[in-house]
Amino acid sequence: MLQNKHFFIVYFLLFIITSCKEDKRLNRTLPSQPEQAKNKYAEGFSVIKNDNYSILYIKNPWPKSEKHYKYALIPKENVSKVTLNKANFDGILTIPVQKIVVTSTTHIPALELLGVEETLIGFPGTNYVSSERTRLRIDNKDIRELGKNEGINTEVLLEIQPDLVVGFGIDGNNKTFETIKKSGTPVIYNGDWVETSPLAKAEWIKFFGVLYDKEKVADSIFNQIETEYLKTKAIASKLTKQPTVLCGAMYKDIWYLPNGTSPEAQILKDANVNYLWSDTKDKGSIALSFETVFNKAKDADLWLSPSYYNSLNSLKKASEHYSEFKAFKNKNVYSFVNTTGKTGGVMYYELGTARPDLVLKDIIKICHPELLEDYQTSFFKPLE
Amino acid sequence: MPNTHSYKLSFSILILVLILCFFTNISLGSVSIPLRTILDSLIGTTDNYIIQNYRLPKAITAILVGSGLGISGLLMQTLFRNPLAGPFVLGISSGASLGVALIILGSGVFGGVFATLFISKWSVVIAASLGSFLVLLAVLLVSSKVRDTMAILIIGLMFGSITAAVVSVLSYFSSAEQLQQYIFWGFGSLGNLSWNEILIFFCIYLFGIVLTVVSIKALNTFLLGENYAKSLGLNIKQSRLIIILATSLLAGTITAFAGPIAFIGLAIPHMTRQLFNTSNHKILLPAVFLFGAIVMLICDSIAQLPNSGYMLPINAITSLIGAPVVIWLLVRKRKMMF
Repeated sequence: MLQNKHFFIVYFLLFIITSCKEDKRLNRTLPSQPEQAKNKYAEGFSVIKNDNYSILYIKNPWPKSEKHYKYALIPKENVSKVTLNKANFDGILTIPVQKIVVTSTTHIPALELLGVEETLIGFPGTNYVSSERTRLRIDNKDIRELGKNEGINTEVLLEIQPDLVVGFGIDGNNKTFETIKKSGTPVIYNGDWVETSPLAKAEWIKFFGVLYDKEKVADSIFNQIETEYLKTKAIASKLTKQPTVLCGAMYKDIWYLPNGTSPEAQILKDANVNYLWSDTKDKGSIALSFETVFNKAKDADLWLSPSYYNSLNSLKKASEHYSEFKAFKNKNVYSFVNTTGKTGGVMYYELGTARPDLVLKDIIKICHPELLEDYQTSFFKPLE
Repeated sequence: MPNTHSYKLSFSILILVLILCFFTNISLGSVSIPLRTILDSLIGTTDNYIIQNYRLPKAITAILVGSGLGISGLLMQTLFRNPLAGPFVLGISSGASLGVALIILGSGVFGGVFATLFISKWSVVIAASLGSFLVLLAVLLVSSKVRDTMAILIIGLMFGSITAAVVSVLSYFSSAEQLQQYIFWGFGSLGNLSWNEILIFFCIYLFGIVLTVVSIKALNTFLLGENYAKSLGLNIKQSRLIIILATSLLAGTITAFAGPIAFIGLAIPHMTRQLFNTSNHKILLPAVFLFGAIVMLICDSIAQLPNSGYMLPINAITSLIGAPVVIWLLVRKRKMMF
């Protein structure tokens, strides 16, 4: 039954596409200049607007990916006017999207900010979702649990028939996504996490804006976040006193901390603090021995995000060395792991990507308490 | 066969090398500390946190781990008269892995209590010890029914398979963070123990060593075959029990505190036999102790990548450095001493 339904949809789509050949000729006779919507920061996606449809390009869905993806997005009212060769695209879909499945909690704030969260019909690992609005829909069974990202329950997914699955991949080898694509449901990889700056990550709201035909709304939301971020950065930049900051914690005896050019380090820089490893050049995280970190950071004023540890006690239990740091002794250890939603999902992981302005304000509030007096931190709390 | 005099010389050299390796290990690290400060902090006149609370416990852990695993490897190889046997073969380390997996990954499946437990280091140690002890108990139960040591060997391997299966089910339902924690436990680590932990580690280790020393005579008799040993009046069942208990105490506690360290248990006895050319456990046992400790200290010094700030997982080094040495020894001697 399901399969029949599915064939019907594919057949219907093919029928629409093949029945508009006349219009294609019409379009050819009246070519118009495609208009490219430029991103300010994000490099992973771009949109080119033609008369009757847009093309969405996805460039870097995972680190060092060489494949580029190309999707045709046809506004509902133009479906009859456009003929496209299916082979030229990785997916063709009608916008605005009516039923969507996203796979990362970082995608959820974008849907909510655009006011289209009611289109979300499935999510892998619903317990990780913290936002109250979406939680309510999960509790009402409006959003189906799809299992795990790497092994999405394909049967449930096919049953709920989304127009689109927004996935993410660590590499291009997610077999589940291939199966979903084969079934005719387009899968678009979201590469917000690959972007190298906080504002670039946040700019991915425009990607969702295109999918919902709400580009202007997305633009204005992003502009607001950007303005707020830059305004806050400017306030902090006036200070001359920079507290020294240590980050991360050990897995066994290897200490992981953000590299100098990572988005986390950029926020620290914008908050005008002296992050002790800000001069390292690589992306992602840096793995150091305990000795190196201890030698450099034992007198650091502040210690931010010590991995998943949720109290000073649990830090000390994991390794007595931690208690030798000045920041630990002075109880200046701050983490976002204790700010969770109703079912335990960490808010920072969900909302932090979309709202770098809030993250920056948190860091400034912690490092320069004299600024932003009335502000309450959104994610970071001191460890007790 | 070399005479007693040459053994004395070999042992003196080995002890000297061990002391040298110990000091080299302490003086090398990511942070360069002048020799003067190192010596001062060793005798307690200077309070250097890195030397006293990081490098020194790490070096001692390396000695305990290397010697303990080497000895338990020797015990298993003699007991099963199989050159491929090692402390991991009995399923001891599989049991420990299962215990750790239940604690670290179990929170994904069972939630609640496990989620709050999994960050405490002691819970990992207790789980690993409990896991290896339970597997040992099962092996002992089986060994009282089955007379054949080969059968016990195979049963140990089967326990390993069962563990792997359970771990993969747990992994499937775990978060990336938990998986990372479990994988890092699997890399092994020497530098994460406090003095208190080392004290407990040492007590259990010592008990294992005492049991081993008690079994020296039995071990030499086992080499002749079980039937022959029986005809010499050896209480096979009791000796087997003591040897298995000693192995599981040594290997179990090492796995609990330092993670599953690869290669050392299997290879150290072979390296020792190649160099000492004897199968007498009175000679082999102390030699394996020294060799194990030396090799582990060297591996740890390399893993620290001195003066670089980076470090490698100890497990990668033990196999990477150790395996070619064993191959080279076998090729040079052209046969396996066993």
